[in-house]
Amino acid sequence: MGSKYPPSVRGCLSLWILTLEVPLILLFFFFTKYESSSKTQRELMGTYGVFQDVTVMAALGLGFLNSSLWKHGWSSVAFNLFMLALGVQWAVLLDGFLNESFSGTVVINLPSIQQATMSAMSVLISVGAILGKTNLGQLVLMTLMEVTAFVVMRMVSKQMLSTEDHTSMMHIHVFAAYFGLTVAWCLSRPLHKGAKTKDQMATSPSLFAMLGTLFLWMFWPSFNSALLSSLKKKKLAVFNTYYALAVSAVTAISVSALAHPQGKINMAHIHNAVLAGGVAVSAPCYQIHTPFVAMVLGLIAGLISIGGAKCLPVCLNRVLEIHDSCGVHYTFGLPGLLGGITNIVLMTHHTNWTKHPINGYQLLLNSGALSFSIAMGLASGLLTGLLLKLKIWKALHDQAFWEVPHLAVGF
Amino acid sequence: MRFKLPLLAIGLEVAMIVLFALFVHYETDHNVHQQINTTTPGAVDKFLVSYALFQDVHVMIFVGFGFLMTFLKKYGFSSVGINLFIAALGLQWGTLIRGILHHHNQEIHVEIENMINADFSTATVLISFGAVLGKISPIQMLIMTIIEITVFIGNEYLVGEIFKASDIGASMTIHAFGAYFGLAAAGILYRPGLRKEHDNEESVYHSDLFAMIGTLFLWIFWPSFNSAIADAGEKQYRAIINTYFSLAACVVTAYAFSSLVEHRGKLDMVHIQNATLAGGVAVGTCADMEIYPYISMIIGSIAAMVSVLGFKFLTPFFATKLRIHDTCGVHNLHGLPGVVGGLAGIGAVALGASNKSTPAMQAAALGSSIGTAVGGGLITGLILKLPIWGQPPDQNCYDDSVYWEVPRLREHDNHFYEHGGQNQLKLEV
Repeated sequence: MGSKYPPSVRGCLSLWILTLEVPLILLFFFFTKYESSSKTQRELMGTYGVFQDVTVMAALGLGFLNSSLWKHGWSSVAFNLFMLALGVQWAVLLDGFLNESFSGTVVINLPSIQQATMSAMSVLISVGAILGKTNLGQLVLMTLMEVTAFVVMRMVSKQMLSTEDHTSMMHIHVFAAYFGLTVAWCLSRPLHKGAKTKDQMATSPSLFAMLGTLFLWMFWPSFNSALLSSLKKKKLAVFNTYYALAVSAVTAISVSALAHPQGKINMAHIHNAVLAGGVAVSAPCYQIHTPFVAMVLGLIAGLISIGGAKCLPVCLNRVLEIHDSCGVHYTFGLPGLLGGITNIVLMTHHTNWTKHPINGYQLLLNSGALSFSIAMGLASGLLTGLLLKLKIWKALHDQAFWEVPHLAVGF
Repeated sequence: MRFKLPLLAIGLEVAMIVLFALFVHYETDHNVHQQINTTTPGAVDKFLVSYALFQDVHVMIFVGFGFLMTFLKKYGFSSVGINLFIAALGLQWGTLIRGILHHHNQEIHVEIENMINADFSTATVLISFGAVLGKISPIQMLIMTIIEITVFIGNEYLVGEIFKASDIGASMTIHAFGAYFGLAAAGILYRPGLRKEHDNEESVYHSDLFAMIGTLFLWIFWPSFNSAIADAGEKQYRAIINTYFSLAACVVTAYAFSSLVEHRGKLDMVHIQNATLAGGVAVGTCADMEIYPYISMIIGSIAAMVSVLGFKFLTPFFATKLRIHDTCGVHNLHGLPGVVGGLAGIGAVALGASNKSTPAMQAAALGSSIGTAVGGGLITGLILKLPIWGQPPDQNCYDDSVYWEVPRLREHDNHFYEHGGQNQLKLEV
């Protein structure tokens, strides 16, 4: 078997990563400083709690969510951590540089790191679409490209389209999903025979993936309420997300049984579809004032997600030749779209209701922001995909990068 | 199975949404009169503290209880998946029923406390799920969820509002209640066909490790569980400290006793997974009372002892003589330590550790919890015994493949990844 292994990655990988890390350190040395004015204890603890939740979601949740592929578990979890670490550093710098009040130094505080973590999550979401088809070198490039594109997208929509912080961050789901899909489309190539078996699921990786799903599921209320400023909006976001997630979990599990000829539930659907409610409610969560609206959203999101899981692989894989390894499109893409549209509808409804005169213009701006994030995702994804295609490395499983224990678990 | 489960679940879900639309609202400016209060530091603090506690409880319910039950070798998907399913449905139902009992003017207002209590009410169902694990279908689980949460909230109202007994960590109302409810249902649903050891009813190395994930998460967050609904300030603080020490003492005693009762002094993973948590259950009732840390350590140690001995001697006795088969041993993890907690609560109140309640009322609370649990469990068991709910036949018990699309490839447990790239895979027959 030895001769079939992909080439050793010893020289180029470490070199490529180190040449990247050294300039990052230098940039931090020259341009950053910590915030000097100390805030009150209470504010610090409040932010720190949410910050921790977001980090758990990014490192544990998204890491384990993608670990369901047979023979790809190590790469999913560890590359995820790697990309998160790299993405956060880069996003902190970019956020500072592109800020309108930038004047020579970037001031780092807890909210800015939290925001950077959330930006870096865009990479972790998109990587689900190309899981197992890229190597670490390509992923580094993708991280840099995607974080840049995402931060630029947020800045532009904040300054040109006057989108709120929360709304533009919640477009992360559609942005990341379409970015990932475009990259997957560029990288699509006929899989060789052996790859088919590696796409299979196995029992204990599925349980690990379930662990990731549960962590995302549990901490989603924190993610949705992280960037909201007032307590009232935060509360609404938490409550709405809680109920939407509960409903989408029930819907996903029961519809998954309905979709199978013998009424069996599919674990892969559960991994993804139970989260659809949280994605769908993310953008409009602070505008929903009664729980049942959030619950209806969760129900629709669960249905869309399972429907997508059933139909999309057939259409997308055949027609467009996209191979979406972990179902990013129906976990994040479609429910995110639903959420974005609901947000626009609710906003118009709300402005009508309070008799504000400018709702037409506002509507235009909001739909502009949503479509801009999709367009940006597609365009930057295309660019990244073409760049990644330049180098052709073949590494599909862990053994290229990891020393797999040869005689594991004897007992 | 194809249509029964989805239609029942979707029907229930739609009914929930309609009921929520009619009755449940958020606290908004219209119904809060002192709206200045919502922006004061006090309100922000309260939100932050209770939100953190809520999350800890949430982790315990979904990861803790879910993974604790994954120890069966072929039943991991159902343990985690059905756990998520019934807890997600149960928390909505719990919000509604609790709101109806504690309502003000026809409307239920959602606050973080409601969410914590809703999560608590699902805990009872998850505990009972442990007793019947592997022997009933998801449809039966759904019905049990709806009935059990209703009975639980009724009993909790009786204990809290009528007896005015103190049960902050819910040793009696959640743990003892859930365990005896599950045992009663399991007793009615007893199957002579499963009397002999079932092939699938055993654990393998990595399934025990998965169960350990659940144990650790439960263990870590148990202080939050016992203090989540305590009054902020000194009582909450005491509840955290007491639970912490009780759990620590419990772990040490559980290891000691596990080694003592096992052949050649080896540790038994089942004891480690379950008995280490008994201290948290047992200290629940008196967690916020004025007791010394050493008292809570004694309570924890007694609970560990009872739990290990229960696993060793009581579970086989229950299964063979009383015809009650308890898959996860919830009687030893939740039932007996819950009773220990109730007794400790009576003792602590009698010795004057709390002035909120009397020993008689504590005893009444313990009695009513067990009584309603057994009554409710028997009735639920009879309902579940109707042959229309798709109960799995004997040979398909403890097997995921009845309800789940199981991966065709199942790794050979002892030779995972042997020899590099070669697949040590076995086709599932």
